[in-house]
Amino acid sequence: MLELVADMMENDLILIGATAVEDKLQKGVPQCIDKLAQAGLKIWVLTGDKMETAINIGFSCSLLRQGMKQICITVMNSDAVAQESKQAVKENISMQITNASQMVKLEKDPHAAFALIIDGKTLSYALEDDMKHQFLALAVVCASVICCRVSPKQKALVTRLVKEGTGKTTLAIGDGANDVGMIQEADIGVGISGVEGMQAVMASDFSISQFRFLERLLVVHGHWCYKRIAQMICYFFYKNIAFGLTLFYFEAFTAFSGQSVYNDWYMLLFNVILTSLPVISLGVFEQDVSSEVCLQFPALYQQGPKNLFFDWYRILGWMGNGLYTSLVIFILNIMIFYNQAFRAEGQTADMAAMGATMFSCIITAVNCQIALTMSHFTWIQHLFVWGSVTTWYLFLLLFGMLPPYYSEDAHKILVEALGPAPIYWCTILLVTVACNLPYLAHISFQRCFNPMDHHIIQEIKYYKKDVEDQHMWRRERSKARQETKIGFTARVDAKIRQLKGKLQRRSSTLILPNCMPSPCQ
Amino acid sequence: MIGEATSSGAGGKDDSPAAVSGKKNKKPNYSRFTQQELPACKPILTPGWVITSFIVVGVVFIPIGLASLYASEHVVEIVERYDKDCIPPDYRNNSLHYIQTSDTDKNCTMTINVPKHMKSPVFIYYELDNFYQNHRRYVKSRSDKQLRSKASEGNTETCKPEAVTSNGQPIVPCGLVAWSLFNDTYKFSVKKEVLGVSKKNIAWKSDQEHKFGSDIYPKNFQNGSLIGGGKLNPSIPLSEQVDLIVWMRTAALPNFRKLYGKIEKDLQANTTITVTIENNYNTYSFGGKKKLVLSTTSWIGGKNSFLGRAYIAIGGLCLFLAVCFVFVYLLKPRPLGDPSYLSWNRNPSGQMN
Repeated sequence: MLELVADMMENDLILIGATAVEDKLQKGVPQCIDKLAQAGLKIWVLTGDKMETAINIGFSCSLLRQGMKQICITVMNSDAVAQESKQAVKENISMQITNASQMVKLEKDPHAAFALIIDGKTLSYALEDDMKHQFLALAVVCASVICCRVSPKQKALVTRLVKEGTGKTTLAIGDGANDVGMIQEADIGVGISGVEGMQAVMASDFSISQFRFLERLLVVHGHWCYKRIAQMICYFFYKNIAFGLTLFYFEAFTAFSGQSVYNDWYMLLFNVILTSLPVISLGVFEQDVSSEVCLQFPALYQQGPKNLFFDWYRILGWMGNGLYTSLVIFILNIMIFYNQAFRAEGQTADMAAMGATMFSCIITAVNCQIALTMSHFTWIQHLFVWGSVTTWYLFLLLFGMLPPYYSEDAHKILVEALGPAPIYWCTILLVTVACNLPYLAHISFQRCFNPMDHHIIQEIKYYKKDVEDQHMWRRERSKARQETKIGFTARVDAKIRQLKGKLQRRSSTLILPNCMPSPCQ
Repeated sequence: MIGEATSSGAGGKDDSPAAVSGKKNKKPNYSRFTQQELPACKPILTPGWVITSFIVVGVVFIPIGLASLYASEHVVEIVERYDKDCIPPDYRNNSLHYIQTSDTDKNCTMTINVPKHMKSPVFIYYELDNFYQNHRRYVKSRSDKQLRSKASEGNTETCKPEAVTSNGQPIVPCGLVAWSLFNDTYKFSVKKEVLGVSKKNIAWKSDQEHKFGSDIYPKNFQNGSLIGGGKLNPSIPLSEQVDLIVWMRTAALPNFRKLYGKIEKDLQANTTITVTIENNYNTYSFGGKKKLVLSTTSWIGGKNSFLGRAYIAIGGLCLFLAVCFVFVYLLKPRPLGDPSYLSWNRNPSGQMN
């Protein structure tokens, strides 16, 4: 009835205008995606929107571009489908995937890029156990993957498929309640707090307020945190091995009775106040390059995924360093304080004196080692590192002043026995230098003859060569990225290639009339 | 390994609070600390620094090593083992019986030759070998509380098995450390003239003043059936029993020396000293050794060339490393900040470094 009335009324209308609703991308999203692609990350889009919307979004953030071949995997949309058996549908999809994989394999052009577009209905078949590996194999060779009309459950399933199928680290970022499953499934979940409420934020590991902050989160903070944590863990093992093994070596001299050479208080405070603060400052404040450089050189991010700082070579190297340090400390102390007098007044060293000396050597050596490891010294690092060494001497002084009821063997040990003895200070100097010598030699040789990228960049910054030779700096920045097939940089590159190709073809056709210049010109 | 990122449709309002009036700016306050932009020095290890530091270490260490070695070489030390020779020939095969019975004559005489001039004070030590004063159960077996004052005389729990007599009376000082007090004595004479041995200041002052009380006297000491060492004069307070105080400072290693006394006279070269030793202490039951040591001291203490040698070795090693470094750097120099060493320029295939 209504239709009849509408038919009667809507006649001879004059078109005045048209309105459109644009669901704009957030500010900075295309740049962010471009930067992440340059950093070597692969980006997939899982959205609940329909296919046309998703494709348009892909174009606007350069996940898709004109030269890309789009592979659309869809379920045949005809009325006969409802009657067709599930098996037939699956076979159809499987055939599409196989054809697409074949096409990708046969592609000869190295710059060709493929985009996979799949919708939720097809995905529900493609994610079944017998087909999902085939689907994943096709998806990973494509430059970008866009899944549209995806339900929250399917988002989680796709994330799990990628995580388990490729074994790589996955990060999921979303802003709505429908992204919660995906965020929790991924290795790292990032929630965007904003218009759609706080559900995504509450389910995530990290939350940011705009999508573009993801770039800074990964390329700057991710890079820094990887290095900080790797160095912190290696150093922690080193210092505890250096300390603990000296106790074990001493047992060989006490008939394995379990007597500790150190006063209990020294051992208690070792990990609490004497060596813990410098490690904390290393783990919180260390920066190998500044944040601007991290953003300008996305290739530096790959040091993390390639695991250059926490491989077995480094871990075992640090443990070996700890073993060497403990041996040097123990042997040098034992041999220097052996059984003769250690002062001009003729007294010999007892267990308390030897223990305090050995411990002083450990504290000084271990703190000098972390000073060699750090590359970024703020006032905090200086305070913690040198403050830790000072704290040890202050503690020894103050503890020694307590009455013997509390301080027992350590009573007045610094003031009376060790402080005035030149051999004590000579021993500490010798042991500290001997312990740090191999590490210093190793990093010097490595830095000079086999430098890593951040070393070179640190040198360029130190000598201000980036300011002097801006051309070189810009050139290196443009080279410091992974080969990408998505993002607007890739789009620009593809356009340049296209124009070059046209120019070459044109110049090859122009050469024929011009190839006979007159010899006297 | 390439990371993967998935995102839902990134739609949303452009967040520019300044543009919307009346809306609070929720951006946190900027501070250099929270943005990790604190002023920092970022030293880098250039070849100049490396070579300089190695050379500085070498140049500082070698003189120190030479000075230590010189000092150690100038210390005159005489070490004489006497536990074997001080047993009369009749008892050589039965040394344990000899040392444990009280009716054998424990005196024995020995001569020592002074090789070089020894400036006073000449320190006298007794050296014990294979004696684990650092054994945990031995170190535990003492009562520091009891040693400090008469009021804590009965505080003997930690001293087992040498805590109380068979009547339940507390032993002062209790514990195995005191019980095993070294009790050999030495008397020195040159050409029948007695050399005085001073016992002043052989113990740490803080021990005498704070750890051993002046109101507490030895009581019930070495009264049991098993004698572990020397007896103490019950009329001298613990703070003046210097031999006990020196002994109670447990040594770190199984081979140790303890200060016995000082000779306050110069000893000329080629003097022959006659030592009369009272061989009381039993080291025969556990295969220990006893030695008498006379030694002068220097600023680094007694005779030990290890410190000097170690300094020279480390200093020499540093100079060697500096030379190696200069050599290799001249052969294969790398200009600092040269971008051709960046990994994408070195391995265009994309290998990261």
